[in-house]
Amino acid sequence: MELVQALLSGVLVGGVYGLFAMGFSLAFGVMRIVNFAHGELVMIGMYVGFFAFSLAGIDPLLAVPVALVLVGALGAGLYRLIYRRFVGRATLQQLLVAIALALVLQTLAQILVGPDAHAVQSGWGSRFLLIGPIFLPYAELAAFAVALVCVVGIELLLGRWRWGQMIRAVADDPEIAELVGMNAQRVNIVAFALSAGLAGLAGAVLVMYYPVSPVVGATLMPIALIATVLGGLGSIGGAFIGGILCGIVEQVTSLFWNAALQDVPLYVLLLVIMAFLPQGLFGRQSAH
Amino acid sequence: MPAVLLVALVAAVATLPLWPFANNYIVALAVRTLLFIALGQAWNVIAGIGGMLSLGHGLFFGLGAYATGLLFNSFGLTPWLGLFPAMAIAAAAGLLVGLVTGHLRGIYFALATVVMSLAFEKLARYFVDLTGGDTGLSVTFRGDAPWAMQWRGPTAFLFLSLAVVVIYYLATRAILRSRFGLELQAVRDDEGAAAASGVNTFRTKLLGLMLSAAMTALVGTLYMQFYLNIDPSTAFGLFQAIQIQLPALIGGLGTAGGPVIGGALMILVSEAANIASGKLNLQGVDVLIYGLVLLLVVMRAPLGIIGEWHRWTSRRAGGAR
Repeated sequence: MELVQALLSGVLVGGVYGLFAMGFSLAFGVMRIVNFAHGELVMIGMYVGFFAFSLAGIDPLLAVPVALVLVGALGAGLYRLIYRRFVGRATLQQLLVAIALALVLQTLAQILVGPDAHAVQSGWGSRFLLIGPIFLPYAELAAFAVALVCVVGIELLLGRWRWGQMIRAVADDPEIAELVGMNAQRVNIVAFALSAGLAGLAGAVLVMYYPVSPVVGATLMPIALIATVLGGLGSIGGAFIGGILCGIVEQVTSLFWNAALQDVPLYVLLLVIMAFLPQGLFGRQSAH
Repeated sequence: MPAVLLVALVAAVATLPLWPFANNYIVALAVRTLLFIALGQAWNVIAGIGGMLSLGHGLFFGLGAYATGLLFNSFGLTPWLGLFPAMAIAAAAGLLVGLVTGHLRGIYFALATVVMSLAFEKLARYFVDLTGGDTGLSVTFRGDAPWAMQWRGPTAFLFLSLAVVVIYYLATRAILRSRFGLELQAVRDDEGAAAASGVNTFRTKLLGLMLSAAMTALVGTLYMQFYLNIDPSTAFGLFQAIQIQLPALIGGLGTAGGPVIGGALMILVSEAANIASGKLNLQGVDVLIYGLVLLLVVMRAPLGIIGEWHRWTSRRAGGAR
């Protein structure tokens, strides 16, 4: 029964991991940008949710679209200002710039809101659903539901929406996309804003049950990376599945080993995947 | 760098404690700078010359520091001897890292290595009995005890770390001209072509990684003796992972002088930011300024100071023609 509980919790938590991993994967798949500041964008989304609740009494669930738009706009700005120069070349310089940006955002948060961790205590969010011996917090269920809706939405957007098709075209081959008349820079801005928006959205959802602090991004970032590599570089749906797997591995590790070490098997898993299955579970590109 | 200039620079740093304005703070700052430079030099061997952009060198630095401290605390082994097992452990770790991730290229290698370092951070936090957990591992202070590589003042460490920096500088120059160094550079510039010309690329990369790891661990030993404490995030954390790259990246990748220039510059920036933060009386402003400067430098001068200088002078030479 404990195992079933751990598996279910893992799937619920992993759904939100998958949500921000999809954003990370989008930036990587389309622009070859390894956005190490992605975790900080999640952190900003979490603060949007937290302040909406603590200052205005707005339910975090209603703050989700606000976080999507705000962090998405921030992403577009960061793309114009910084990431534009690095499109298509995943270099160490790009990685360093992203890490420096993460550091700046983290420190800014520390200066502006202080280093303490905050949790949202909404009425319904702290209750849970009991099915026999298994309990599932409503907050986690709601977060998972939002994640699921977004995944379907993103897949539809990328499949049906004109901009979505252009994003995929640029991801496949930017030069040919330009040749047939697309403006790759504009497509990239939209893709990056979407990537950041997903991070913000995931943050607002996550804050319903996960305390927020300025350093939370650094904890979440490796998960996005591992989920993306696990799901396969360039596969956005794969990143979602990868996120769920990460959630399951974490929860099962906490059950059988120790909660403080719940990330260690994830790191090992990443190395094994990189060594033996470099294209990931669903990816087309190889890390070799 | 001309030999005369080099000797003058070394002499200037070595006589620093005798200068009129010198005090313990300045000398300690010089030690910090030299250790930072030495780390950059060690990383530069595999990343700059060999093109393997490791983000996980904190692993080797931390192993060096923890191994030295543990050997001293548990077995009373003096760090003068403890540095050898520390370097050997790091080299073995480098071999393992290379075996698991050596086939990965560029950014993938960087990501795989940083993940290993982060895994060690978690483990170091967890195994409290061995590592001291979050607060870190401390070595017992014995006062002025040269046999234990410990002194009250920073002056002895100035000589020690200066010696390491000079040795690493000369070693980098020797490597750059040696057959091994040429093979490393060939692997960096075009692995396929290097293999076609008879270079055993995997062996070359492994050797380079092991050498770089051992060099990094030695700096870990000095760090442990100078600060008398090492904690998981200082050793294996993400901040340390980028710190190690800065001297070479900012000064000039793959050059002997790059880490020296870049390391000195970044410490200056960090000190200036520190003073500004004190004046403003706002905590965290120093990290903010440091991050912003880093952001700007990497964006504006991606080749590093020496690389940009070469580009500038060659462009001027081209224009004069």
